[in-house]
Amino acid sequence: MIRLWGYLAMALVLVVGALPGAAATTKTTVIATDLAFPWSMAALPEGGFVVTLRGGQLIYVAPNGNQQPIELSLPDLYATAQAGLFEVLLAPDFSSTRELVLSYACGSEAANNTCVVKGTLSAQAPYSVFNTQNIFTALPKKAGAAHFGARMTWLADNTLLVALGDGFVHREQAQQLDNHLGKIVRIHRDGSTPNDNPYKHSQASQIFSYGHRNVQGLIYDEQRDAIWQHEHGPKGGDELNKIVAGGNYGWPIATYGIDYTGAKVSPFNQLPGVKAPLYTWTPSLAPAGLALYNGDLLVSHLVGRRLQRFQYSNDSWTLTDEYLSELGQRIRAVYTSPDNEVYVLTDSAEGQLIKVELP
Amino acid sequence: MLRVLLAFFIAVVGAALVGSVMQTQFNLAEITALSVSVDMPTRMNTIVHDLLHFGPVFAAMLIPTLLIAFMIAWLVAKRFTRFERWWFIVGGGLGLATAFIIIDSLAPMPTLIAANRTTLGFVLMSATGAFAGWIFDRLWHPQAQELNEELPK
Repeated sequence: MIRLWGYLAMALVLVVGALPGAAATTKTTVIATDLAFPWSMAALPEGGFVVTLRGGQLIYVAPNGNQQPIELSLPDLYATAQAGLFEVLLAPDFSSTRELVLSYACGSEAANNTCVVKGTLSAQAPYSVFNTQNIFTALPKKAGAAHFGARMTWLADNTLLVALGDGFVHREQAQQLDNHLGKIVRIHRDGSTPNDNPYKHSQASQIFSYGHRNVQGLIYDEQRDAIWQHEHGPKGGDELNKIVAGGNYGWPIATYGIDYTGAKVSPFNQLPGVKAPLYTWTPSLAPAGLALYNGDLLVSHLVGRRLQRFQYSNDSWTLTDEYLSELGQRIRAVYTSPDNEVYVLTDSAEGQLIKVELP
Repeated sequence: MLRVLLAFFIAVVGAALVGSVMQTQFNLAEITALSVSVDMPTRMNTIVHDLLHFGPVFAAMLIPTLLIAFMIAWLVAKRFTRFERWWFIVGGGLGLATAFIIIDSLAPMPTLIAANRTTLGFVLMSATGAFAGWIFDRLWHPQAQELNEELPK
């Protein structure tokens, strides 16, 4: 009888473990602590990591966790509330050029937006970034310190996608093609505009897609030659999208979310000519990082305080596993290193860089 | 006392209803300006949705705001009795405008209520506080001719 109960309990564990979205245990190793609101990271080929802190600092984290500030000059950095230093991305040919790109909020309280610079990282520690050069400034500059987007990814042709936000109070501008608010733009590494971008008009020829609210995850999937993206909805309606050139992703004319006050932003969830999301999070988990791992998508969440794993089938994604909820931490970023190790950055004044071994 | 409470309750409900319907029109105007047509059933559904979801949130903003504004209006009216109705109208309107400014400075987003992003929207939404002031004083201290008004037959 006892054995029977044992078999039943084992079967129950197996069934629950196989359910979609079931919490799975992982092994975690804290690499570094006391990182004040880290935003993104990149693994250096010589070992260690470059980590951005939203306050404006660039940090080198050695493999043993030791931290050193990296000298970086961004005179027009605007750091407050959601504004600050955002993404660091190594150039595809970093090992030979040492070039990297950084996105950050530039300007002042009255007039700011998202800027991108490229720079060169010195060959060895103590590191510094030199030859910094602006390659993109989102226009128009606007007041307020919300919704900068700022995630970036390299495409197969070595052009750079930069995701932007709507500035919160300018949501209707996400549907206007004469500015960069609520857009994803595509540029060359030198800041010039590729001549095969979908729109040719002079005001904003960098536009690649539009109708975005606040993009917080963006990654090019070489295996499927596809671009995956997620963005914050307002109250509900966080979206996972497949980005295509010229696509309209609906904000604010079509959304699954409502405003924070309870009012409808739009009566429509979907509209003709608007790309429907592949997956929506309602209530919002505030996805804030996106990475590919063994062909699966990993999504880290701020409000949701967990890491989710999605598997691909029929040109869409299915939630299969959830991790790290036991940490109880807001997770700002998830990153897969070139040697296929997964790391996350937790979002707090004592943020951590954690290595995660997934099942 | 019951008269004051009832007058206050009706004033809050009245302002919440009007404010909710009005901000819906501002939001839908922004959508239609982007060449998206909104038919009447969709407009009505949106109004009802917002009455049920935005209305209570707005009422929660109105209650503390109008409590303070009406107390100040009452103190002023004690000194300048002739214009009592106007003190409540002005008090409600200015009080709500002040509350919007304070909320927007404290909330993480630059403007909590989307309709308040434009000057016209801000003025009209603030005017719902003035409307509440009018309702409150109309019910609390109706004027002689208002007491003699006959109900429509």
